[in-house]
Amino acid sequence: MGGYNKPLPKVNGDSREFWTGCKKHELKFQKCKACGHIRWPASMVCPMCHSQETQWIVARGKGKVYTFVVYHVAYHPGFEKDIPYVVADVELEEGPRLLTNIVGCRPDEVTCDMPVEVTWEDITEEFSLPKFKSV
Amino acid sequence: MNLKDRYAIVGIGYTPQGHIPERTSLSFHVEACVNAIADAGLKKEDIDGLICYRTFPSASNEGPLTPYLVAQHLGIAPTYLSQDANCSRSHLQHAIGVLESGLCKYVVLSYGHNAFSSDSMRRMQMERGADDPVFGHFGAAAGYALAARRAMHTFRTGPETWKHIAVGQRKWANLNPGATMVEHTMTSEDYYSARWIVEPFRLFDACLMTDGGRAIVITSAERARDLRHPPVLIMGMGQHNPSYDVHQATHLAGPTGAKKAGEMAFKMAGVTLNDIDACQIYDCFTYTVEITLQDYGFFGPGEGEDWFKGGTIEPGGRMPVNTSGGQLSEAYFMGLTPLSEAVMQLMGRCGKRQLGSTTNTQSPEIILCSDNGAILQTHSCIILRRS
Repeated sequence: MGGYNKPLPKVNGDSREFWTGCKKHELKFQKCKACGHIRWPASMVCPMCHSQETQWIVARGKGKVYTFVVYHVAYHPGFEKDIPYVVADVELEEGPRLLTNIVGCRPDEVTCDMPVEVTWEDITEEFSLPKFKSV
Repeated sequence: MNLKDRYAIVGIGYTPQGHIPERTSLSFHVEACVNAIADAGLKKEDIDGLICYRTFPSASNEGPLTPYLVAQHLGIAPTYLSQDANCSRSHLQHAIGVLESGLCKYVVLSYGHNAFSSDSMRRMQMERGADDPVFGHFGAAAGYALAARRAMHTFRTGPETWKHIAVGQRKWANLNPGATMVEHTMTSEDYYSARWIVEPFRLFDACLMTDGGRAIVITSAERARDLRHPPVLIMGMGQHNPSYDVHQATHLAGPTGAKKAGEMAFKMAGVTLNDIDACQIYDCFTYTVEITLQDYGFFGPGEGEDWFKGGTIEPGGRMPVNTSGGQLSEAYFMGLTPLSEAVMQLMGRCGKRQLGSTTNTQSPEIILCSDNGAILQTHSCIILRRS
């Protein structure tokens, strides 16, 4: 794991709970206590009702591909060996959409609306990344 | 208060463009502004408003590009100075706001960038989206590709549609001596044989990276009458900002901001699509042109391929689009590529690519323009007419 050469998450006050959850292989999102909206990215207020009352919930990690692209260019040296690789926007059953990678299949097997589930990649002592695979 | 036909674009400033090494972004801003002021027949002392498009991260050998710096190098101290921090495309509204309020008489709007020759865009790729790079996601091409892929899933579109845009605009560029791609023709086969960048986009779906700058001068229709060129009047304007990041956006396959912005602009101008003689559409990627024209109402979702095929947007076509070659084949200057080309066409200054009998197209009275920013998060629609 010491040789990990891709960009790492930039943790801040908004995102810390999310990344701490990921380390425990928990996909955590904020749920508004007032209106029930589950939001992402993490935010001080609910964009639906502006309530600041919130609780963190753990998502089931299941969803479907909303949209995706296949990278044929490595814009960062850390991804040179991965080309071609898939970046996808996955819509979780709970509502939030998460930018992630689809792994475990060929890029030409990925389709919009394809059912997927989370699979964890432990990249460093501090970080695990939620990636998704076909179910 | 009706703003229709009350303000005008009266001057255009060009610079050398394409691959121009050793030039700073500041130098392009300043050269474009000087040329725009002279083109309008004004003196620098006349300019009391300066609005700069956003700057990308500066090259590592150039300091931050602020509007103060541009004003300093122009030797002016304007009463209104502004620069957008990101990509929201409100510049023309700003300009007309400060003219209408009486704060300014003549406003310059400018853009300059050494995108091709400097390390600016590489720096930009790394800065975009706090945690996107964690998953190998960088830059605007992939963002628009996410939108385009969703559109392919939602309605019938894809490379079969986009090739008509890339090839059609290239034919216009081949008539434009200033276009980066003037000497490079493109066939459908060339389009398909180009390498993938971020699938579903191939190389020719993406705009150019350009060293250069562009500026325009805006003033009241009344003041415009005394200047060098026949003024081009702003008939209508509209803006809409869906704002949502591509990761959460539900407008990727339309309606984008173009729909509401277009409706506002057409309402203000008091015209319909049938009155439009040509379009200058912000074309960061081919799909942007399709979804913009679709949201303006030229065709329904999935009807784009049929609408574009047969040379609709090309020289000799019934609805010319991006007659300079656009950002795909002329040069990338944000909204000033489409806007300045519309003005030049309406002034009748376009030489071999001039709309009308020269290119077997309708003589232009009214041209529809768009400007669009971030990943379809902000959209401006502008309708211009000949005076």
